[in-house]
Amino acid sequence: MTAKITSLGAGLMERTGRMSSARKYALLFILGLFVLSLVQLIAGTKQLTAPGTWGAALRLTVPIMLAALGGLYSERSGVINIGLEGMMIAGTWFGAWAGWQYGPWAGIAFGLIGGALFGLIHAIATVTFAVDQIVSGVAINILAAGSMRFLSSALYTADTGGGATQSPRIQGFIGTFNVPLVSEWLGALSDRGWFFISDVAGIGAGMTTRVSWFTLLALVLIPATWWLLWRTVWGLRLRSAGENPWAAESLGVPVLRMKYWGVVISGALAGMGGSYLVVVQAGIYREGMTAGRGFIGLGAMIFGNYSPFGLLAGSGIFGYSDALRLRQDSVHAILLLLAIGLMMFGTYSLFKRNYQGSATQGVFAMLFFIWWFTTDDVPGQIVTATPYIVTLLVLTIASQRLRFPAADGVKYRRGEAH
Amino acid sequence: MRSELKRRGRFLALLFVFALVAAACGNGGDETTATTEASTAETTTTTTEASTAETTTTTTEAPKPGEGVKVGMAYDIGGRGDKSFNDSAAAGLDRAVAELGVDATELEPTAGGEDREENLRLLAEDGNDVIFGIGFAFADSIAAAAADFPDTNFAIIDSVVDAPNVASLVFAEHEGSALVGAAAALKTQTNTIGFIGGVAGLGLIEKFQAGYEFGAKQVNPDVEILVQYLTEFPDFAGFNDPAKGKEAALAMYEAGADVVYHAAGGSGAGLFEAAKETSENTGSKVWAIGVDSDQYNTVGEEVREYILTSMLKRVDVAVFSTTENFVLHGQQSGIVVFNLEVDGVGYSTSGGFIDDITDQLEELRLKIISGELEVPSE
Repeated sequence: MTAKITSLGAGLMERTGRMSSARKYALLFILGLFVLSLVQLIAGTKQLTAPGTWGAALRLTVPIMLAALGGLYSERSGVINIGLEGMMIAGTWFGAWAGWQYGPWAGIAFGLIGGALFGLIHAIATVTFAVDQIVSGVAINILAAGSMRFLSSALYTADTGGGATQSPRIQGFIGTFNVPLVSEWLGALSDRGWFFISDVAGIGAGMTTRVSWFTLLALVLIPATWWLLWRTVWGLRLRSAGENPWAAESLGVPVLRMKYWGVVISGALAGMGGSYLVVVQAGIYREGMTAGRGFIGLGAMIFGNYSPFGLLAGSGIFGYSDALRLRQDSVHAILLLLAIGLMMFGTYSLFKRNYQGSATQGVFAMLFFIWWFTTDDVPGQIVTATPYIVTLLVLTIASQRLRFPAADGVKYRRGEAH
Repeated sequence: MRSELKRRGRFLALLFVFALVAAACGNGGDETTATTEASTAETTTTTTEASTAETTTTTTEAPKPGEGVKVGMAYDIGGRGDKSFNDSAAAGLDRAVAELGVDATELEPTAGGEDREENLRLLAEDGNDVIFGIGFAFADSIAAAAADFPDTNFAIIDSVVDAPNVASLVFAEHEGSALVGAAAALKTQTNTIGFIGGVAGLGLIEKFQAGYEFGAKQVNPDVEILVQYLTEFPDFAGFNDPAKGKEAALAMYEAGADVVYHAAGGSGAGLFEAAKETSENTGSKVWAIGVDSDQYNTVGEEVREYILTSMLKRVDVAVFSTTENFVLHGQQSGIVVFNLEVDGVGYSTSGGFIDDITDQLEELRLKIISGELEVPSE
């Protein structure tokens, strides 16, 4: 066992999560939008703020976000969850199976249960038997992939229209809705082509037009999680298990039970992310369809500094860059976006008297700018890599301020405090 | 004594855990990557109707030519029942057994595909005369096995292995794609069509694209063709990510395309969903074109009506004709191309959506076969 943490975990003191800095983030968001429409104007593309791009970005964000949210519950309760990917795989399989049998809503429910089952396995291994959390997580990933293959070959026999690597199509669809009036108004406004205003309207229209009910459900989970973890006694207890389980137990918090909650909810949310892929997007289960989204979710959560709104931003960056890459003639502008973004970070670093960082960022900004200016095309790999570059940038710049739950990853046994 | 017992207990526990992990690995391996790599462009599908129909041939009492010939089949991950590549190969083998009377031995690799070469060697030691490796993932293992068993004949699908006892069975995907490209260009109302590729940079999918563009321009020189790849080599996720396939397709339909062809393996499911969604939302019907097998027959009923046609890649034909060739003529090696001429590639007509243009497609097909038109492959 590692050294006990003697001070009360600092994370417990943040009564508000990240909401206290909401104003700062709102400002950053508006600034980001402005940069976006500026880049769009200079680069002469329409895709950066097109409603279609943002609709796609939203749909590509949700599965990553759900996995990240799952990671949040687990890590806040002090259990590292590398197994998110495996839990998500279980979610895709169970979601497709139930969707095929009983329709899309049952698919969501079963995806959730499937993920939760693997969450439970992780919880039993790490909480009850104090298995190394990384090892157990990796094992979950392997186990999930293998057992889903087994289930596929057992249940999706030839006469079902499925096979060893894919399920039959699910029954029916989940409905979509337009936000009344807002969707039309914003759509009309975005067609005007006014600088900034139309761009913002375009983004708004994309996120209010033909939104799946499942998307709404997923998005509601963000504020719900914030409320649950930072405004309820239960949430305080869960976080205390991840910050200082010894102190928590001495105060009568059932630490192991809270960890169980955290890890099982974590699996359920990751599973839900998997079922989103099936129910809203693919219509079938296909082996390997999660394509690493569980791991990306983990990264998005760290990017978001273990907070619900932060992880939404983190997953949004991944979803947005995916959407950009999958749409025509928008990728070249990303170089300019990177250049301007880096320039802004550089200025910020200068302001913070981090001269070395500022210089590095400035140089890279110039390089990206030259690259953008001298070429007409950009390799697709760069766009794929963009969110990773941004995440690395954020981590290097903000690493001093990132903090993970103090007892995250610590093996805790009941009664250790005595 | 006690501590001795305790130690032994610990050792047993360790052994148990090790066994568990080993079992898990055997089951799972790095399944996702292995599968995607193995199934490259090969899709989600059952054997085509045509091939099953051909399987039921007349059984004659006369001795069959292939009696006593042993054929070994090393499937790739998924094996029989994968609704795709392996199933198509299996159909060819079944036909060879039924019509030629050969003896067949089939092996499937573990989920991670680590024992491809081992399977080949087992089949060779077992005295098989012809051994098939299904899929380009077998390239290295066939090269190795063929060197050690010079008297055995090997055949590999979708890859070229340069050895005196290996037949490399490759397909003229660009020719088949040219025909569906023509179908798309003839059917479009908006004069805009689309192509979604799974993984860029392999060279393989670019072949589909080149043929598609060529065929479309042949019948409609002004047609606009949108092209989108889902991922770039070495990221193979593009063959297995229906969510990305759907978003790419939605963007194309939004940009005005009304027929979109995919060569993106499992990601194609997303294209069909996008076609359905767009058709229902906008009220005007848009089409999707399937790949490798007749996807009209393998997708769910809800999306079936949006599949205009499919580019067929007849792995079953390759397996059967290679076996037949061996039975009748003995050893075979070098590159064998399965093109339009030998029905190695083609297009499907299920659903009857292209019945009005089959004349034009046939005309184009004959021109390609006769060499009057040469379809570019890159």
